[in-house]
Amino acid sequence: MNLPNYFFADLPPDASFSPMLVLDACHTLRRNRERFLSPRSTTQMIRLLAALADNWTEPDFPFRKFLLAESPKETGFSPQTLASGLDSLFKSITIDSLTGLVRQELGHDLRLDEMRGSEETHTKSAMAVGPELMVHVTAGNLPSPGIVSIILGLLLRSAQFIKCSSDHPLALRLFAHSIYDADPKLGACLEVAAWKGGNQICEPPLFDQADIVTATGSDETLESIRRNVPSKTRIVSHGHKVSFAYLSRDAMSGYKVRRWAEGAATDVAAWDQQGCLSPHVIYVQEGGEVNAGKFAEMLADQLARLEQLEPRAPLPVQESAAIAARRSFYEVRASHSPDTLQWRSPESTAWTVVFENDPQFQISCLNRFIYVKPVLDLQHLLKHAELVREKVSTVGLAALDDEARLLAHQLARWGVSRVCRVGKMQTPPLAWRQDGRPVLTDLLRWCDWESGS
Amino acid sequence: MRTHRWTSLPEVAQQLRELIRDSMQGSQSPHCSAGARSDLVQRFDLLVVELFRLQFEANTAYRAFCEARGSAPGPITHWTQIPFLPVAAFKELDCTTLLEDQRTRVFHSSGTTRAKPSRHFHNEQSLESYEASILPWFKKHLLPDFDSWRGRLFGGPLEPPDFLILTPPPALCPNSSLAHMFEVVRREHAPTSSPFSGKIATDGSWSLNKPTIETALNQAVDFFRPLFILGTAFSFVELADHLLSGNKAVVLPAGSRALETGGYKGRSRSMPKHQLYSMITKTLGIPGNNIVSEYGMSELSSQAYDSTAAIGTEEPRQAPAVPRAARAFHFPPWTRSRIVSPEDGKEVLPGQIGILQVFDMANIFSVSALQTEDLAQRLDEGFELLGRAPLSEPRGCSLNQVETPR
Repeated sequence: MNLPNYFFADLPPDASFSPMLVLDACHTLRRNRERFLSPRSTTQMIRLLAALADNWTEPDFPFRKFLLAESPKETGFSPQTLASGLDSLFKSITIDSLTGLVRQELGHDLRLDEMRGSEETHTKSAMAVGPELMVHVTAGNLPSPGIVSIILGLLLRSAQFIKCSSDHPLALRLFAHSIYDADPKLGACLEVAAWKGGNQICEPPLFDQADIVTATGSDETLESIRRNVPSKTRIVSHGHKVSFAYLSRDAMSGYKVRRWAEGAATDVAAWDQQGCLSPHVIYVQEGGEVNAGKFAEMLADQLARLEQLEPRAPLPVQESAAIAARRSFYEVRASHSPDTLQWRSPESTAWTVVFENDPQFQISCLNRFIYVKPVLDLQHLLKHAELVREKVSTVGLAALDDEARLLAHQLARWGVSRVCRVGKMQTPPLAWRQDGRPVLTDLLRWCDWESGS
Repeated sequence: MRTHRWTSLPEVAQQLRELIRDSMQGSQSPHCSAGARSDLVQRFDLLVVELFRLQFEANTAYRAFCEARGSAPGPITHWTQIPFLPVAAFKELDCTTLLEDQRTRVFHSSGTTRAKPSRHFHNEQSLESYEASILPWFKKHLLPDFDSWRGRLFGGPLEPPDFLILTPPPALCPNSSLAHMFEVVRREHAPTSSPFSGKIATDGSWSLNKPTIETALNQAVDFFRPLFILGTAFSFVELADHLLSGNKAVVLPAGSRALETGGYKGRSRSMPKHQLYSMITKTLGIPGNNIVSEYGMSELSSQAYDSTAAIGTEEPRQAPAVPRAARAFHFPPWTRSRIVSPEDGKEVLPGQIGILQVFDMANIFSVSALQTEDLAQRLDEGFELLGRAPLSEPRGCSLNQVETPR
């Protein structure tokens, strides 16, 4: 596939940027937005985005085919893992989910198009206005957060400048090209560039032009972005988060246990455990028919099976060395104590399951390295996860319905921002409130109209 | 093939000392015959089998590890077949053949202050093996010209070179194998007046006693006496920063040398090796070919060096400050090392990167076959160090812990 030289990211990797180039791009984006994007309606945008997402789920869609063919070299994921991740992502983007999102966030389908009152009062109306120019700073090689950012930006009719990771820019670049291909005028409201984060030549002028900056990354990255963003400009940032799963005693019996093991393996393997939604630890409540040790073994079987279907990507030696070193550590422990057990892929670091009879939350070295730990109950678990309390994103639950409601309530009180079933941790709905924050309303500006006399 | 079997670790220790002596006299000499070399290899191989058997029997922690891997001494005939114990085991277990009441000394490793440190237990006998291994390999790399040194400078007899050691004295840090090693080489090679110039803060961190250092530097310059400076990389950075900021850089007399060891571990700002070397040259006037890097750890008794100090004391000042690209580290002939792939544990090809494993014969009373947590690139001969595997030790969520040197 020959991609036209349309975005900065299409230039050779050694191309250099000047502040003037960045400024020019921003001015063009604003102009194009005014001409091509502002006039469109929410309904039009939703139809277009849903159709685009649908295309991306088609195996023959040229952009998808090209992306998968360039994997893992250009994406950091095996083609199978990437395909599975893209499917979950794009299947969640439909007319219904987009409409539902607007309704959830803005209270009315047309609030982005015109002044609208609420059901109760007709004297007070409001309209939501998206920013003219959004700048997204995306981190790492996980493409989904960047893709969702672009979709939300288009829904709000904002021009967007996407700064993606210099290691693996291809996925976002191709997504932008697919928009350009579907509707060149929309493509003209996007810019995609890849440079090493913290670039002092490009980033300050870029941030200076932005009406809003969205950023994902480590605390350090976010802090350095904040330093370069003018105080007048809003920043919506999402730092690194961790996730875990909890399997309650009542769910640990009968044929269902195998399904939970399959689900847990899916959660671990998705995106090679790189996302904030990836579990680090699977907690199993004691006293069920299947105990934590047995479940760990079942999980290992499932990870071995998944490795055949969706192999983990080859790793840089530093990362596989981290896994090897950690495995060594637990191998030593396991040789001395029945409280530690380890299952691992033979002749590779593809997957590792460590069972530890110690409820302390443990940060995984990722790339499909998962801990399984027994706990007495959810309170017992939370006590031992206190260190990461501020950092938890998602908790995967395996529990019977009545109990699940109660557990979700406790988790909400404790500080968790998303609770879902085990097996669904990596497939959040589009309207998922990341870090417990609104999806759209953090990005836009309201205008209230008091029309009453 | 010899058939003699040694029945105790002290006997193996005796054999090791002889092997060290013969290796240094034999294989190092250009006149050493192929026969003599192969004899040394044969003696090494024979000792390996015996040493593994004895360590397996007497070291419960190691034995359990080997058994979990399904390994036992019987079928082992070569060092590569022996299970390599991850050094992390020294944090968790008593990896020693010494009984509790025999453990008169313990060296702690670069652990974090909050995490458990490694513990390598010693007694008089094991320290003897340790020192037997330290001295000849240090001398070969730092003082290759020691025997002829005296008459060389200014034609007259001279005292041994002064050492300036940048760690605290062993009395203040009895658990530091590094301070112990420096004490061993100082006792052997330097006047007793050679100072240890490190001090220990209340939080356990090391820093430099600057007045002591300035005195030593000034004396070396004033009396035109070469100075050997031994310290960790981060202590050299601290020293260079101090000299630069106070405008106190010196040019030490020709023949001065520096030995730097062991990473930064978050202690002071870290920098690439060539930059560290330039800084040493710039602030102390020691040219790059008189700066030697050492690699060691508290879990090992032998060390690797990446070069030999330039012979002679009248080195040209214009000697390159920046070391040759990739100076290769070499362990002594009574050890073996290899770089294995973290994926499948097999030895990597030259040029590839993997995890460093060392079989250290001088670890008689603990475990000889050790897997480090260090990444290294295999070179045609020797290896280049690339640093520690990240996240090797699970640490919960605590970050930014202060590390203490080995």
